[in-house]
Amino acid sequence: MQASRARLFKEYKEVQREKAVDPDIQLVCDDSNIFKWTALIKGPSETPYEGGVFQLAFAVPEQYPLQPPQVRFLTKIFHPNVHFKTGEICLDILKNAWSPAWTLQSVCRAIIALMAHPEPDSPLNCDSGNLLRSGDVRGFQSMARMYTRLAAMPKKG
Amino acid sequence: MEDDYFSSDDDYQCSDQESMEDFEEPDFKLVTAKGPTTQVITKESLLVAQKEDLRKVMDMLSVREHHARTLLIYHRWDVEKLFSVYVDRGKAFLFAEAGVTVDEHRASDSSLSSSIMCDICMEDVPSDESTRMDCGHCFCNNCWTEHFIVKINEGQSKRIRCMAHKCNAICDEAVVRTLVSKKQPDMAEKFERFLLESYIEDNKRVKWCPSTPHCGNAIRIEDDQLCEVECSCGLQFCFSCLSEAHSPCSCLMWELWAKKCRDESETVNWMTVHTKPCPKCHKPVEKNGGCNLVSCICGQAFCWHCGGATGREHTWTSIANHSCGRYKEDQEKKSERAKRDLYRYMHYHNRYKAHTDSFKLESKLKETIQEKVAISEGKDSKVRDYSWVNNGLGRLFRSRRILSYSYAFAFYMFGDELFKDEMTEKEREIKQHLFEDQQQQLESNVERLSKILEEPFDQFADSKIMEIRMQVINASVIIDNLCQKMYECIENDLLGCLQLGTHSIAPYKSKGIERASELQVCWTNKANDTGGTEEVDRPSGSGSSDESGYPSRKRARKDDIGVGLFDLNLPAAEVVDRN
Repeated sequence: MQASRARLFKEYKEVQREKAVDPDIQLVCDDSNIFKWTALIKGPSETPYEGGVFQLAFAVPEQYPLQPPQVRFLTKIFHPNVHFKTGEICLDILKNAWSPAWTLQSVCRAIIALMAHPEPDSPLNCDSGNLLRSGDVRGFQSMARMYTRLAAMPKKG
Repeated sequence: MEDDYFSSDDDYQCSDQESMEDFEEPDFKLVTAKGPTTQVITKESLLVAQKEDLRKVMDMLSVREHHARTLLIYHRWDVEKLFSVYVDRGKAFLFAEAGVTVDEHRASDSSLSSSIMCDICMEDVPSDESTRMDCGHCFCNNCWTEHFIVKINEGQSKRIRCMAHKCNAICDEAVVRTLVSKKQPDMAEKFERFLLESYIEDNKRVKWCPSTPHCGNAIRIEDDQLCEVECSCGLQFCFSCLSEAHSPCSCLMWELWAKKCRDESETVNWMTVHTKPCPKCHKPVEKNGGCNLVSCICGQAFCWHCGGATGREHTWTSIANHSCGRYKEDQEKKSERAKRDLYRYMHYHNRYKAHTDSFKLESKLKETIQEKVAISEGKDSKVRDYSWVNNGLGRLFRSRRILSYSYAFAFYMFGDELFKDEMTEKEREIKQHLFEDQQQQLESNVERLSKILEEPFDQFADSKIMEIRMQVINASVIIDNLCQKMYECIENDLLGCLQLGTHSIAPYKSKGIERASELQVCWTNKANDTGGTEEVDRPSGSGSSDESGYPSRKRARKDDIGVGLFDLNLPAAEVVDRN
């Protein structure tokens, strides 16, 4: 408990210091609870998510960093490895490949990487996975772009 | 190099061959010339058993014990497989695959600064409060400890990886032990136990004895073939399926048979076909003739076809929607079949049961016979040696069991359930006759032996006793041969020519199910040979296991059995000696 708190506090300071370094990620800690974090990440360029801003919610366990944080998308996203309804993310480093050397910041980076490189063979969103697996890249991209526009971009006008 | 390993194997084998060869009856054929191939591993000898395999790997690859263990756990304690990977793919591959890194970094680590930054807690810690693993990653002791505890709690003691990202290395168990025991000694014990038990749980050559309540033992076999074994707790079981010893039934047959006997599925089957529940009192009603307007003993009348209630005044013709002639035909066929299946099952089950029951009754005979032997031995007579009585009795028990299981075997071998498509009707008939002839011969000889053994030989004169002795010995030899032949017939002529199903049975052992020998003894000998080369990873003396620093809780188990009691599977000579 104490260890996780101390470590999160360090991470917090690190985040403040590095804010300018990585403009794609904005990590914010909950005012009253250091175990609750949110992040805003920019959709990587040259992907259907480009131009979108996606919100992530982190729930950090007491055993952190020995156990991984639970992360999910709050913003709707059409991606093979993200559950369309709950926003749950299927990413190995958040499950069995977790290493305590990861930080919340690096988890965000990993998620951005996942957005750019979906794994259609272990889909949480089967529709999206099937589009990619059947080779319909255009179909997938237009769906993903549509949802990015609908959910992850500021409403115009 | 492989030769070394194989030849040294003999040293590990412990044998009580001597006692087996003291077998007194010259007429008995010694079928198993080989030493015992099964060994009991108790809580106390588990460490020793592990060490044997560890040593092979340590000697072969010149690695330290914890590396050997990591390699062996990765290869599920299959030393031969590990060596073949080593030969085929090389040492580097073998090590990398299992997550073993051998001291490359420790030596090159010259940067002994006074403090390091731990990437986990992100604190600066004095370097003497941090630990560098073999893989080169260094974190503070606190973080390591927490990591180990989390992993042990998750049940991953056997493969605790380094905390660094994508580092496949397995943590040095000595480090885990030291760090964890400082914080949570009970957790360190748990870790220790997991490591030890990995030898049993991850090893195809070792299985826990299935006794309930658990005797705490495990059995190790030398070659991974199908066999039946007796644990030192007295339980006999099939090493393959862990249920009671059931040869000449195959494991699948036995599983099906046991289930069938348990839930009397045939009865249920017959009832569903032959009876219908009364719509009023719900008792099953059997139709004993007459028309299809049935009345239950409770007075309720109902239609046999649809099971619906009708009034007494209704005539058959006046009930609407009952033109189900075709339906009725099917029903008849079905009931015919069910009846036939049930009779068939009953035939085999009755015989199976009869032999099992005789076996139980004859177990009582054991006591009376012991008394008779005692009386006879007390008499001043020329006949001194009564081991033939016990031999005969052992043979009787053993063959009774075989006989009873042979009926379960026949039920499936010649039934439709398993091998319907394997044989033509004609083939099946021939095979069935072949088998039944042998079974019958065996059966009559077993009954003969049973009868002879019941003779009140304690009241007979010497010459008569000698005569009975000859009869018992002859019958025993005949039965032994018949059993042997029956097993051969099953293996070669019946199961051997199956195409689809693969059924195999444990080989026939003339002396009964092999009793696993205690591992303890052999290790003591072995340790005296090679003691001293041991690495001091853990207090492990080279004497007996009592000094090994491992909790030694010897139970009186060993003494409970054998002494004063007759044991079916001990050579009779040995039992008599003890008495």
